[in-house]
Amino acid sequence: MKIKKLLITTMLSTLLVSGANAQTTGPNGEMATPSSTVTVPEAEIAKLKAGNYTAALLWHEQSDFVNAINAGAKDEFERLGIKVVATASAGFDAAKQRSDIETALIKNPSIILALPLDPVTSAAAFKEAVEMGVKLVFLSNVPKDYQHKSDYAAIVTDDLFSMGKQAADVLAQAIGNKGKVGFIYHDADYYVTNQRDNAFKTTIAKDYKEIEIVSQQGISDPARAEDIANAMLLKNPDLNGIYVTWAGPAEGVLAALRANGNKHTKIVTLDLSEPVALDMVRGANVVGIVADEAYELGRVMAATGARSLVGLENPAFITVPAVTVTADNVAEGWQRSLHRDAPKSVLNK
Amino acid sequence: MDQLTQLATRINFKQYVVYIGFLLIFLFFAIVLKDDGFLSTRNLTNIILQTAPITIMAIGLVFVLSAGEIDLSFGSIVAVSALVAAVVMNEHSMILGILAGLGSGLAIGLFNGLLVAYLRLPSFLVTLATMGLFAGVARMLTDLRSVPVLNSTFTGIFGSGSLFGIPSLIYWTVGAVALGHFVFRETKYGAHVLALGDNARAASVSGIKILRMRLSVLMLSGFCAALAGLLYAGRLQGARYTLGEADLMTVIAAVIVGGTLLTGGKGTIIGALAGSLLMGMLNNGLILMGLSVSDQMVVRGFIILIAVALSLRDTNH
Repeated sequence: MKIKKLLITTMLSTLLVSGANAQTTGPNGEMATPSSTVTVPEAEIAKLKAGNYTAALLWHEQSDFVNAINAGAKDEFERLGIKVVATASAGFDAAKQRSDIETALIKNPSIILALPLDPVTSAAAFKEAVEMGVKLVFLSNVPKDYQHKSDYAAIVTDDLFSMGKQAADVLAQAIGNKGKVGFIYHDADYYVTNQRDNAFKTTIAKDYKEIEIVSQQGISDPARAEDIANAMLLKNPDLNGIYVTWAGPAEGVLAALRANGNKHTKIVTLDLSEPVALDMVRGANVVGIVADEAYELGRVMAATGARSLVGLENPAFITVPAVTVTADNVAEGWQRSLHRDAPKSVLNK
Repeated sequence: MDQLTQLATRINFKQYVVYIGFLLIFLFFAIVLKDDGFLSTRNLTNIILQTAPITIMAIGLVFVLSAGEIDLSFGSIVAVSALVAAVVMNEHSMILGILAGLGSGLAIGLFNGLLVAYLRLPSFLVTLATMGLFAGVARMLTDLRSVPVLNSTFTGIFGSGSLFGIPSLIYWTVGAVALGHFVFRETKYGAHVLALGDNARAASVSGIKILRMRLSVLMLSGFCAALAGLLYAGRLQGARYTLGEADLMTVIAAVIVGGTLLTGGKGTIIGALAGSLLMGMLNNGLILMGLSVSDQMVVRGFIILIAVALSLRDTNH
């Protein structure tokens, strides 16, 4: 499902550094500021509405994730009286992104929200926008050598560390803070999954001394998840829980558990998926899904751009919290993450 | 009335569909977006700059299609040549970088050509396979990393600079189209390409070395793709393994809408230029209209469909 999102964020080689034992930090070691603290003061809204400001949304791809960000940004811009004059998707093509920027600049937008496709080629692509004084708010990545304030307003990203940590917390709670767990991680040099996987492992080691990771298996092809889970369960039939790197392979792990008639091994995974959520609301193996707040990503990007227009200072690096979705809050969790109703099958159990 | 019909038959409107379509769409955007800067010199220049690599690739494809073959691998060649040029340039010199970039395009074209001409494999399958093969090579070359191109002479000549106030990409577009048109229409080589695409057996009987011709058109396509790769590297001031990946369908659409037959024997370079500019203008105008991304895709698809239907209608192929 979110493979594309994963792939793109992995391209971000010079990306937001975060050590395995650290919180998510910015490209130059900036401390993260929670998105909830970044809003447009009521007093500034009238000024923004009177300013006839405009914005362009230049995304890197089209997906569920981007749709939710786009919706968050559009709603916030509408609230602030800022007109969205251009929307484009580069389809992961750096050349198309450059063309999209040039085309959007014809409409003289006051703000551009974008995910720079890669630090190297994006540096030239956004240069004209910087020179024109457009307020740039970047998602998850920053063009090479760009400076906060002089070149861009802020970088906004998921709190990847929290996603992995919250997955550890929800699994630990479900198994009574002790027992044996399996760890199915993404075996590739992918920033997003690597950070989340490491955060899970670190949290278990640091915060849950009575939980032991007894089996670890990397996965690069989600289609192989069922085989991997079968092998893991064959060696460790008494596993209390399994962490699965994202929802796609988690569906395969669930298939393995069902085929084995296994009802005692609990599963935790990341990113929303209807089949996984259905298992969770039925009280079967899945105990929690941790997702990012995509809609909030869009909202805070728009708010940051608007703050820049009225001369307010912005933090350099803003993170959006992760949301732990369980059977008890599935409707609310879906709303918080994607800002839409959960699928009917999930709501009706 | 009869005279009018005769005149219409003689003019053969089909041939001009791309130009008429181009004008109609241009007029539509000019009216709808008159307050949105569509007609500004900057925007019209942008369209030409943005389509320059597409136009150059389209020229190569006109030769290949006219000869009755197809090349699906040029998108991958773009990425390989841009990366090779960037790496060699950063480690040695600009000249060596350019030669290595263009050379790698020619070499891949030669590889395609040898398989098609001498092993008698269908070009569709050969280039389908090499498209994937060289996309993989492009990923391996720098382990998915982008390579910056910092040589300002290179970026000036290939994409970012200008001379007498005219951006270098316009010189490349005009030069390549003029040369391509001349070779295609005015030389024996161009005539042989068309003869081969029209009827390979007849071409062979009349003394045309058809194997060598097949090899040469695929090499030409490789060369054009490599040049497009250099232009991308100059324009973006960096090379990346995804360059050209998304261009396959745009280039094929530009060439076909322009009036070149997929089945060979008929092609036009000027038509391909018009097709390429039409594609660029659609991208540009639909974004300026403020449409959502999905709406842009639907409208673009419909317009291309109409253009292709009009330009191919009534053909016996």
